[in-house]
Amino acid sequence: MSNEPPTPREQTHETTGLLERIFAEQRAPLTRYAARLLGDADRARDVVQDAFVKLLAQPRGAVDDHMVEWLFTVCRNGALDILRKEQRMRRFAEGELERAPAADTRPGRTLEAAETHASVLKLIDRLPPNQQEVVRLKFQNGFSYKEIAGITSLSVTNVGFLIHTAVTRLRREFAAERP
Amino acid sequence: MSISKITPDDPRLTAYALGELEGDERAAMEAALRDDPALQAAVDEIRATVAQLESALATEPMVTEASELSHAAIIAGHDPAKLDGGPLAKVIRFPQLYYLVGGLAAAGFAVLLALRPPAGQPGPKSVNEVAQAKDATAKSVKMAVSIADLQAPATARAPVALPPVPEPKPMPSAMPVPVADAGAYAGLLAQAETARQQVMQERQARIEAFVPSGPGSALGSSATTKATAPRAELAPMTYAANAPTAAYGGGPRDIGAMKLSRFGVAANAGKDDTLQGAVITGGVEMKVAAAPANPPAMNTEAYAYRRDNDFVSAAGTPQSTFAVDVDTAGYANVRRFLRNGQRPPEDAVRVEELVNNFPYRYAPPAGAVPFAASLEVADAPWAPTHRLVRIGLKGREVSTGSRPAANLVFLIDVSGSMDEPNKLPLVKEALRLLVGRLRPDDRVAIVVYAGESGLALPSTPVAKSAEIVAALDALTPGGTTNGAMGIQLAYDIAKANFVAGGVNRVILCTDGDFNVGVTSEGGLTRLIEEKAKSGVFLTALGFGMGNYKDATLEQLADKGNGNYGYIDTRREAEKLLVEQVNGTLVTIAKDVKVQVEFNPAQVASYRLIGYENRLLRPEDFNNDAVDAGEIGAGHTVTALYEIVPVGQASAAATVDPLKYQNRGAESGDRHSPELLTVSIRYKDPSGEVSRKLEFPLTDHGARFAAASADFKFAAAVAEFGMILRNSPHKGAATLQDVLTWAGAGLDGDAGGYRSEFLDLVRQAATLQ
Repeated sequence: MSNEPPTPREQTHETTGLLERIFAEQRAPLTRYAARLLGDADRARDVVQDAFVKLLAQPRGAVDDHMVEWLFTVCRNGALDILRKEQRMRRFAEGELERAPAADTRPGRTLEAAETHASVLKLIDRLPPNQQEVVRLKFQNGFSYKEIAGITSLSVTNVGFLIHTAVTRLRREFAAERP
Repeated sequence: MSISKITPDDPRLTAYALGELEGDERAAMEAALRDDPALQAAVDEIRATVAQLESALATEPMVTEASELSHAAIIAGHDPAKLDGGPLAKVIRFPQLYYLVGGLAAAGFAVLLALRPPAGQPGPKSVNEVAQAKDATAKSVKMAVSIADLQAPATARAPVALPPVPEPKPMPSAMPVPVADAGAYAGLLAQAETARQQVMQERQARIEAFVPSGPGSALGSSATTKATAPRAELAPMTYAANAPTAAYGGGPRDIGAMKLSRFGVAANAGKDDTLQGAVITGGVEMKVAAAPANPPAMNTEAYAYRRDNDFVSAAGTPQSTFAVDVDTAGYANVRRFLRNGQRPPEDAVRVEELVNNFPYRYAPPAGAVPFAASLEVADAPWAPTHRLVRIGLKGREVSTGSRPAANLVFLIDVSGSMDEPNKLPLVKEALRLLVGRLRPDDRVAIVVYAGESGLALPSTPVAKSAEIVAALDALTPGGTTNGAMGIQLAYDIAKANFVAGGVNRVILCTDGDFNVGVTSEGGLTRLIEEKAKSGVFLTALGFGMGNYKDATLEQLADKGNGNYGYIDTRREAEKLLVEQVNGTLVTIAKDVKVQVEFNPAQVASYRLIGYENRLLRPEDFNNDAVDAGEIGAGHTVTALYEIVPVGQASAAATVDPLKYQNRGAESGDRHSPELLTVSIRYKDPSGEVSRKLEFPLTDHGARFAAASADFKFAAAVAEFGMILRNSPHKGAATLQDVLTWAGAGLDGDAGGYRSEFLDLVRQAATLQ
């Protein structure tokens, strides 16, 4: 989390209005994103608060043109830091890891009568996590391939491949759902 | 790029459809599309898919609202008491930390913004002063963070079940506030205050969720904290071990760290996907979400939604058909909730399982038939103008000496989730009790399953019970649950030691937490269904609480020609595995179905109480391919019908008289004084062809007060269930009435079960 205090600088952001707007608009999407990484809304809120605190510490103009993308990146890094720290603390968590593949089951059978949205979300939840993340960043948060590449430290090609793979699979599964 | 290379499976096609291609690439793709209708179709499909994705993802909940996620303090399934003094098992978060970091971060945010002079207006302070002030703020934030860091491990070890509720921390008053910016500061302060109130409300909601648990707060809390995330909507991303490292790039990150998102939640979410149909899961969510002020589900226990059977017109639908059900797990589960000071979720209350939990003294069968029916009718006590019909089946008794030899395979879940006092240790105790009741020529094998399955004890005669007990004692929990592989192995061993004409049974002991391998409801039940054809029966015993998946086990038992019980205490283990051991082990009839034909001349409408998920179509009754319930030796089965006699205003939806039906039919015996006829179909345990028994009943107008003790008691239990379910048919009766009726039906109370029921009703009354 924020072990680095914000460094005092001579100048802070010129655009208080912009900051407030970004805060109001992006806090919820950022928290949702971080909560999904962490599986926990509390820590997600912490991470998001940290990201905003860090944003304030940025020199003017450093991130203005890609502020939202920057916030997602910082949240992601914060979340991954927390997950890494936890590894040391959760001695009895071993085994939980192996449970992860359980989500991979036969879709379709149980979805017949579900609402379309719920069933689509279920199918998304069955994607591998890295595909889920980029799919959400793309179709939920509206980032471009390039921005996603920035947030996730993947190459643009890689992002394109992940999204393509996910969309292709979902397309096939949607078709299978409709008799 | 080369046009000829583009196929519908080219990532560039997806990129194009999403508007991600630019310049030459885009032009080349457009050229390729013009020539290829297949590619155009693919682009259209991609866009249609994406539109669905976008609209679905837009419905995913945000998490900033106080109600959406609870502050999970303790990770699911772990008894907080066990954290006491021991090594730290799970990360525990406390509200202070959130508050401290959150509040101070907000404060810092506010101050930093406030410190900046409004644009275009010279600030009242020199740049130097501002810098100093900002420095001070930075220090205060740093201090706050380091306090939080220091506190985290200390509080994490505290063995408390209830999270403390800190007072809201006032905004630090010593913060420098430039006068000129007072307005802006106040605005942000208000914002922070709103956020703080939100936190407080959220905390209050959580506290309310804890309060009902009363003395059982430790148990209550572990159930409550399972509500970490609204299921399915917020499964955390699971960074699996096999994920390609490159995909997570990001410099020198430790890939291992990413594995540690909360799989506890993830696993549950995954299971929910597969456990029930989506519709049913939706129903569960909806039901639980009805709890006031605390929308997220209290726990992840899965209960399928059930709607009470309605009154049905006897003229329109004269036959009512259902499969017998002698499972009693519902009662133990309801008792667990009430003992913990909580009202059970309505869908966890299964009236027929409550009623069938108690032994009744029906006359045993005479002659060769496997069971007899005892019918009785009197006033329905909760609706005195209605009649209540009790159908009681009593299975033939089989003594330990006369029953065939048993070939048992204990299939024991030793996964990490079983590591709780009321799980694996109770399993061992229960099975030791069972071994003590077996004959020396019976055989027992033990199969364990976790991440890998294994044979802990080859099939061993009970004469060597010391070996069996030693193998039981040696079991230790650890690993994950691959139920499917364990089930395979257990059935293989049962088959290898098959006793022709004997008791061949797999006894599954689990908390139902299957999370590796075949985990879909469909996959597991198909597996069991197939294995059941081998002649090996299944007993599913549910242990523990929290992630106990009621519906999975019931399904497995139904499909596996088996029975299922829920063991929460040693006493329950004694009941199932000692007192009723032969009933649990020896099946005397299978696929038992009941069909009741009502005489429309006597009955205006009727309603089957309970058995909602056991209803069959009338034509299923004579179809031997339709699976139904099993009856164990000495078991009793009780079913109740509430009847509106002819002449009473019928509660059934009125239907206009049919024009073309042969009314006043000569074919039927309309003038029979009989109220109804009960037909029962059953198969012998090894047979495939059913037989039928018929029992008519005539109503002589008996009053409730004159009814038998068994009748009164069963009626009381049914009404108790209906009150807990808040059934639309519960009538005007209260729990006080239930006590009165049940008290009148105590009847000696062998085993003390009925007195215990009275205690439970009193307990429920205190929760009203």
